[in-house]
Amino acid sequence: MGLNLLFLGVLLLPWVSALLVAIFPKPILSISLSALFSLSAILFLFNSTVNYKIAYTWFQLGGQEINASFWANTSAQLVLGLVAFVSFCVQLFSKSYLAKDPSIGRYYLYLHLFVGAMTLLVLTDSILLFYGAWELVGAGSYLLISFWHEKTQATQAAKKAFLINRFGDIALLFGLIALGLHFDTWQFSEMHGIAPTLVGIAIITGGIAKSAQFPLMSWLPDAMEGPTPASALIHAATMVAAGVFVGIRVFDITSPETHLFMGIIGAISFLSGAIFAIFQNDIKKTLAYSTISQLGLMWMGMGSDASLFHLLTHGIFKAGLFLAAGAVIHKVHSQSLNDMGGLRKKAPVAAFAYLIFGAGLMGLPLTGGFYSKESIAGYLYTTEQFELLGVLGVGMVLTSFYISRQFYLIFMGPVKEGSSEKNTALNLPIRLLIIASLSIWFSLHPFEMRSYAFLTIYHIPSFWLYITAGTWVLGIAGAYLTRNWIPSGNFQFLPRFWPSLFNLIRWKSRSAQVFEMQFIDRFVNGIAGLQVIIAHLLAWVDRHLVDGILVGGSASLSAGTGKLLSRWQSAKVQNYWTMIIVTFALFLLYALFIK
Amino acid sequence: MTNLPLLSLLIGLPLLGAFVLGMGQLKEQARNLAIGLSTLQLVILGYLFTAFDKSSGIFQFNESHNWFSISLGSMGSFMSKYTLGVDGLSISLILLTGLITWVALWNSTEIKEKLGAYYALVLLLNASLMGCFLAKDLFLFYVFFEFMLLPMYFLIGIWGGPRRNYASLKFFIYTLVGSLFILIVMLGMGLAYVDPYETALLNGLIRPEQGFNIDALKAVQLMIQSQELATSSLVHSFDMQALMDYNNCQITSILHPSSGWLLGGLSAREWGFWLLFIGFAIKLPMVPLHTWLPDAHVEAPTPISVLLAGVLLKIGAYGWLRITIPFFLPEALIAAPILAGLGALSIIYGAYNALAMKDLKKLVAYSSVSHMGFVLLGIAAFTAEGWQGAIFQTISHGILSALLFLLVGVLYSRTGDREIDSYSGIVTLMPRFTVISGIAIFASLGMPGFSGFIGEFFSLMGAFTSPFLHPAYAIIGALGLLLGAGYLLWTFQKIYLGKLYLKNADWSLPDLNKLEMISLFGLGIISILLGIYPGLLFELSEKFVTTLLK
Repeated sequence: MGLNLLFLGVLLLPWVSALLVAIFPKPILSISLSALFSLSAILFLFNSTVNYKIAYTWFQLGGQEINASFWANTSAQLVLGLVAFVSFCVQLFSKSYLAKDPSIGRYYLYLHLFVGAMTLLVLTDSILLFYGAWELVGAGSYLLISFWHEKTQATQAAKKAFLINRFGDIALLFGLIALGLHFDTWQFSEMHGIAPTLVGIAIITGGIAKSAQFPLMSWLPDAMEGPTPASALIHAATMVAAGVFVGIRVFDITSPETHLFMGIIGAISFLSGAIFAIFQNDIKKTLAYSTISQLGLMWMGMGSDASLFHLLTHGIFKAGLFLAAGAVIHKVHSQSLNDMGGLRKKAPVAAFAYLIFGAGLMGLPLTGGFYSKESIAGYLYTTEQFELLGVLGVGMVLTSFYISRQFYLIFMGPVKEGSSEKNTALNLPIRLLIIASLSIWFSLHPFEMRSYAFLTIYHIPSFWLYITAGTWVLGIAGAYLTRNWIPSGNFQFLPRFWPSLFNLIRWKSRSAQVFEMQFIDRFVNGIAGLQVIIAHLLAWVDRHLVDGILVGGSASLSAGTGKLLSRWQSAKVQNYWTMIIVTFALFLLYALFIK
Repeated sequence: MTNLPLLSLLIGLPLLGAFVLGMGQLKEQARNLAIGLSTLQLVILGYLFTAFDKSSGIFQFNESHNWFSISLGSMGSFMSKYTLGVDGLSISLILLTGLITWVALWNSTEIKEKLGAYYALVLLLNASLMGCFLAKDLFLFYVFFEFMLLPMYFLIGIWGGPRRNYASLKFFIYTLVGSLFILIVMLGMGLAYVDPYETALLNGLIRPEQGFNIDALKAVQLMIQSQELATSSLVHSFDMQALMDYNNCQITSILHPSSGWLLGGLSAREWGFWLLFIGFAIKLPMVPLHTWLPDAHVEAPTPISVLLAGVLLKIGAYGWLRITIPFFLPEALIAAPILAGLGALSIIYGAYNALAMKDLKKLVAYSSVSHMGFVLLGIAAFTAEGWQGAIFQTISHGILSALLFLLVGVLYSRTGDREIDSYSGIVTLMPRFTVISGIAIFASLGMPGFSGFIGEFFSLMGAFTSPFLHPAYAIIGALGLLLGAGYLLWTFQKIYLGKLYLKNADWSLPDLNKLEMISLFGLGIISILLGIYPGLLFELSEKFVTTLLK
C-alpha cells in the first residue's frame, strides 16, 4: 500500500509542483519540489518490484472499461531514474543560469509540466495515456523552446518542432490504435505475440519525429533557440529519448522487419548527424546534431536492451555536455565557436567536464558510454547485422573527430575575448553528472561488463576492441589536423525543404479560400441572384400578365358582361318580355332538339 | 420539486422573460432580469443533472399533453402532442445551452442600444434552443427549430457589423432551405407512419390504464402491416418514437422499405435520409454548405457568435443523432462512407481555409467548420467509440469555440480591429489574456488534458476501427490535427509572441477585467475538467449510444 501511495506521489508530484510554482514563482521552491520528486522517484525505484503494475478506473466507453493503468517494468524504471536525476541537475543549474531573467518562475513551471508529462509517458501502460503523454511532452518542448517569446527565431523554432512532432504523432496514433486492435487490449503489458510490420513501422514513424531521426531531423538544431538547461533536459536526455523508448516498449511485440526498419533509419541518422555535427559553427547546434547521431545509434540497437543502456549513459553525458556548454555560453555570452578558444583556464570545471563527457560520447573506457556502445555493437554482432556494424565503425570515427575538434576549439588554442565572471553555482550539477557518467556504476573492470538481471548485455569478441581503438585514434588525429578550421555557418540538410513545405501549405490554404470565394460562394450567390431575377420576372408577369391580362382582362370581361346583363334589367316591361320569350325559346330548342 | 414541469420551465422561463422584456417596460433592468432568469434556468439544469438516472436508456422527466388533433377523413386522423423529455443525448446539450447562454448574457456588456429588445431576443433564442433539445415530437421540434431563426436573424441584423444585412439574410435563407428539406420529410413521414399507441387506443385494442407493452406494440404493428385496420381508424402522429420504427409505416406508402418506388435511382427512404441529412448538415455546418457561417460570425456581435458557435451549430449534430439516423438507420449505414468522406473533407477544407484567414474571427469560424467535421466523422463510424467521441466533441467544441470567440471579443472590444496582422507581441501588455489564450489554443488543437483531445481522439479512433469505413478516412481526417496545430500556433505566435507591435499606437490594451477573467478561465477549467475526467460526459450518453447502436 505504501508503495502504491509512493507511486501516485511520483506520478502527481510534478503537476502539483507546476501548480505551486505557478502561484509562488520562486526558484528555490521549485528546486526543493524537484528534489522531492527525484527522491521519491529513487525511493520508489529501490522499493518497487520488477514488474510493478497498478490500474485506476478512469471511465467507461461503449461497455468497455478504460483504465488509467501503469506499468513500471525494468526499462521504465531505469528511464524514470534518468529523468529524476537529470531533471534535478537541470533545475539546480537553471537557478543561476537564468537568475537575471524576470520570468524564471514561468520557466520552472514549464520544466515541471514537462517532467510530469515525461514521467507519465515512461510509466503508463495504457495506449491512450501513452499517446496523451507523448503529445504533452511535445507541448512542453514547445513552451520551453519559445520561452524567450520576443525572439522570433525561438517562436518559429518552437512552432516547427511542434508541427513536425505532430506529424509523427499522427502516425503513432494510428499505429497504437492498430496495435490495440491487433492484440485486442489497450495495455502494453497484456500484449503477447508479434504485431504486423506495418503497425510497427507506424509506431516507429512516430518515434522518428520525436527522436529527430532522418528525415524529420531538422527541428532539433532549430530548437537550440531555447534556454540551454532546457535543451539539456529535453533535447538531449529525455524527450528525444522518448522516440527510442517507444521502440523499447514495443520491442518484444514487433517483428524483426520493424526492428530492421528502425535500425536502418538509425544508421542513416547516426552517420548524417555525425557529418552535420562537423559543419556547425554554433556550439549548441553541434551538440544537437551529435544528439541526432547518438539517438541514431540507439535506434541501431533497434529497441533492444542495448538501446536502453545507451539511452541511459547518453542521457547523462549529453545532458552534462549541454550544461558544460551552458556554462561556457554563460561565460562568453555567445554560442559561436568564433568567440571561443583557450577557455580551459577561465572555465576549468567546464573544461574538465567537457573532457569527461566527450570521452563518454566517444565511448572511451572508464566511462559508461564505452559499455553501452560495446553493447550495441554486441547486439548487432549477435543478430548478424554486419552492415550496420560497419556503419557503427565509420560513425565512431566521425564522432571522435567532431567532439575532440570541438573540445579543442573551445578550450585549447589561443585565448579569445571574453568576460571573466565567476559563477561556481553552475558547477555543482555538472559535477554530479560527471560522477554519474563514470563507468564504476556498471563495472569496475575497464573493458569487461558485469551482467545484470535487469539489463541484457550483448558481448562482442575482442577484435572489435581493436577496431574501436582504431576509430578513436583516427578521429582524434583528424581533429588535430583540422584544428584551425572553423565552419563559417550552420549547415543544414536541405535547408529550403521545410520553409517550402510550409509555403506549399499556405499556398494550398489560399487556394482553398479562392475556391470557396470563386465556386461555393459564387454558386450560392448565383442561386440567390437567380432567385431575385426570377422574382423580378414573376413580378413582371404578375403585373403585366396576371394583373394586366388575366385579372385585368377578367375584370373588364366581367365589367362587359355586367354592362350587357345590366341592360336586361332596365326596368322596361318590353325588355322583360323579350327576355322571357328568348329564354323560353331557347328552352324549347333544348328540349325538343338537343335532348 | 419533482412535481413541477421542470422541462417546460426550462423553456417557459426565458419565454416569460422575453415576453416581459418585449413589453418594453424594463429597459434598465433588462440585463439583470435576463441573467437572473438564466441563472434560475441553470439551477434547474443542475437539479436535472443530479437527478438524471444515467443507467437508464430511456427518456426521463417526461411531460406529455395532447396539442391538437385533426381528422383526415378516410386517411384516419392526425394528432400532435406536446411531449418533452431528456435522455443521455440531450442532457449534456441542455446543460451546454444553459451554460453558454449564461456566459453570453454576462458578456453582453458591449451591447449599448435597444437593450430590452436585445435581451428579449437572446432569451427567445435560448427558449427555442431548449425546446429543440427537449422536444420528443417531431412537429414540436420543427416549430422550435424554425422559430430559432427569428431571434438569430434579428440579433445579427440589428446589432451586427457593417455587412449585417447580407450576413443575416444569408444565414436566414440557408437555414430556411435546410428546414424546408426537413419539413418535406416530416410531412411525408407523418402521413406514412402510424402511431401504434394512439391507434390501439382509438380502436379499443388496449385500455388507457393498461399502458403499452412490447407485445401490444407488436400486435398493433402486425395489424398495420397486414392492413387489418381500416385506414380511417388510423392515428398519425409526429411522435419520434413512432417514426423510428419502420414497422409503423403503412405498407402502401412509398416510405415503406418494401416499396419499389425510385426517383433518380434513390428510393423514397433514401431521399428521406438525404433530405434530413442535408437539412441538418447546413446547421452543423458541413462543407460545402458552410459559407453562411463565416459571414454570420464576422458580422454577429461577440455574445451572439458565442451562442451561434457554442450551441446553434450543435443542433446539426443533435438532429443527425436524434432524427436522421434513428429514422433511417439502414440507409445511414449504407451512406456511412459518404458521410465519413464529407466529415474528412470538412476537417481538411475548414483547416486550410482557416490557415488563409487574416481576420481572427473568420479564422475561428473556419476552425469551427474543421472541428465539427470530427463530429461527422465520428458519427459516420457507427461504433460506440465514434459516437461517444462525436457527442463529446460536440460539447467540447461548444465550450472551446465559446472561449475562442470571447477571446476575439476581448481584443475587438478594446480596439475594434480583428486583423491578425494588426497585432504582435501583446503578451507584454496583456499577460493574463495571453495565458488564457494559450490555454484555449492548446485546448483547441487537441492537446491531451483538454476536452478537445478526447473528442477528436475517439472520433478518429471510431472511424479508424469502424467496420463500415476504410481506415483512410480517419487518416485523412487526422491531417486536420496537423493543420489545426498549424493555424492555431501561427496565430498564437503572430498575435501574442514576438516583439510588441500595434497597428495603431493609440490603442490602449488593458488586461482582462474581472468579468472576462471569470468567464474565460471558467470555460478553460471546464475544458480541462472534461479532458482529465471524460467519464463525466461519457457516462451520460453511454446508454443512449449503446441502445441506439444495438
